[in-house]
Amino acid sequence: MKRAMWYSAICMLLVVFIFPSSANSAEPMEMIKNTTERIIKIVSDPKLKGKSMTDKRRALIRGAVNEIFDWEEFSKRSLGRHWRKRTPEEKKEFISLYSRLLEKTYIDKVEGYSGEEVHYLYEKIEGRYAKVKVEVITEKGQKIPVQYRFIKKDGKWRVYDLIIEGVSLTNNYRAQFNNILVRSSFKTLLKKLKKKVSK
Amino acid sequence: MKKIVLSLSFFFLSLLAINTAIAMENVPIEDKMLLSIKSSDEEGFNDEIYEEDEEIKIYKGIPDPLEPINRVFFQFNDKLYFWLLRPMAKGYGTIVPLGVRKGIKNFIHNLAFPVRFINCILQGKFRGAVDEITAFLVNSTVGAGGLVDVVSHSKTLKIRTHDEDLGQTLGRFGIGHGIYIVWPFLGPSSLRDTIGLIGDGFLDPKNYIFKEFKENVGLRAYKEINDTSLRLGEYEDLKESALDPYISIRDAYYQYRKKQVSK
Repeated sequence: MKRAMWYSAICMLLVVFIFPSSANSAEPMEMIKNTTERIIKIVSDPKLKGKSMTDKRRALIRGAVNEIFDWEEFSKRSLGRHWRKRTPEEKKEFISLYSRLLEKTYIDKVEGYSGEEVHYLYEKIEGRYAKVKVEVITEKGQKIPVQYRFIKKDGKWRVYDLIIEGVSLTNNYRAQFNNILVRSSFKTLLKKLKKKVSK
Repeated sequence: MKKIVLSLSFFFLSLLAINTAIAMENVPIEDKMLLSIKSSDEEGFNDEIYEEDEEIKIYKGIPDPLEPINRVFFQFNDKLYFWLLRPMAKGYGTIVPLGVRKGIKNFIHNLAFPVRFINCILQGKFRGAVDEITAFLVNSTVGAGGLVDVVSHSKTLKIRTHDEDLGQTLGRFGIGHGIYIVWPFLGPSSLRDTIGLIGDGFLDPKNYIFKEFKENVGLRAYKEINDTSLRLGEYEDLKESALDPYISIRDAYYQYRKKQVSK
């Protein structure tokens, strides 16, 4: 009896604390769905096709992606232990270059869109973290599992990692960045990033 | 002929094993520690990774004492891809219709069913073993000898393929990669997965059908061209997005295999 009362008390507290915060922000799965549909619309819009529209099309995709991606969190996780040693200016420059590289990679991929199907599988929320699993079916029938990792900051869900076929993007870049950082300097890393982005 | 090839490869592998033992001596303690840390946070959210891990000196997924040699073979495979495999796969893809190429892929996949079946059993995945045997029987009959993958297209059967191999089975038993190896022609692998590959070779019917060395290599080359024609652009994308493609692929291999073993 006493137990039941405790449970109901805890439940009520949970309701009081959880609902106000989740009421003002979209759920991760919904965000992925909305953004994906928005991007598919952009890349399959006949008015936005062709070379002359490239800049406009890319700006639109970038806008959609920026709304849900947390570039600082991406950068933090991709630099790992090297993050803390950087000055605020260095961090800022890094975030800007790295986000451009990721955008470029992402945009190159979605611009090749040719009617791939996206299946939204499930979402799982644990405290301030969440994951959303989707499956992309290519036109050649290959299934590519993609997982989005979310973190909640100031009541808003933001993507901080993408895991494609079991390979985490931030882990993969961390391995590369670290390899450069232990052999040379942060300056070299920035230089290499700049070269990659401007290509 | 086969005996000679096998005994040679085992000799080579045992040499590698000795090399590894020596090389591992030289791996800094931090790396060994990191390996154990990394493997313990399987499905977590990696929250701490950048926060307080002062003792993590070097981030490295898989020991790579052979890096200089591996990089040479990586370059070799890279050129092989761009100069030979890609143009061949492209040409092949324009001549042979997509449906036929998929059919051939399905056929070869279906034929290799004993590899997946035995490894499911070795790992105690009986659901997987049942799935595999059902898929094999259905696809071999209704699916025209394996040309059509009826099973994975069927919504009522609810069977998925279990891509188990001996490398994963060994991983399941707690055996680590040992070291990273890039084989010419074959690409990224590890000591453990190479041993797995040789073991799986005994379970693969195509090695009994194509006993002649020439035929066997021919078949493998053909399979590679067929598969590549279905995945054109993937390697290019990966390379394009990387600052150091060698490291990127090494890490991707490590993460991908880890995921497969944990499944």
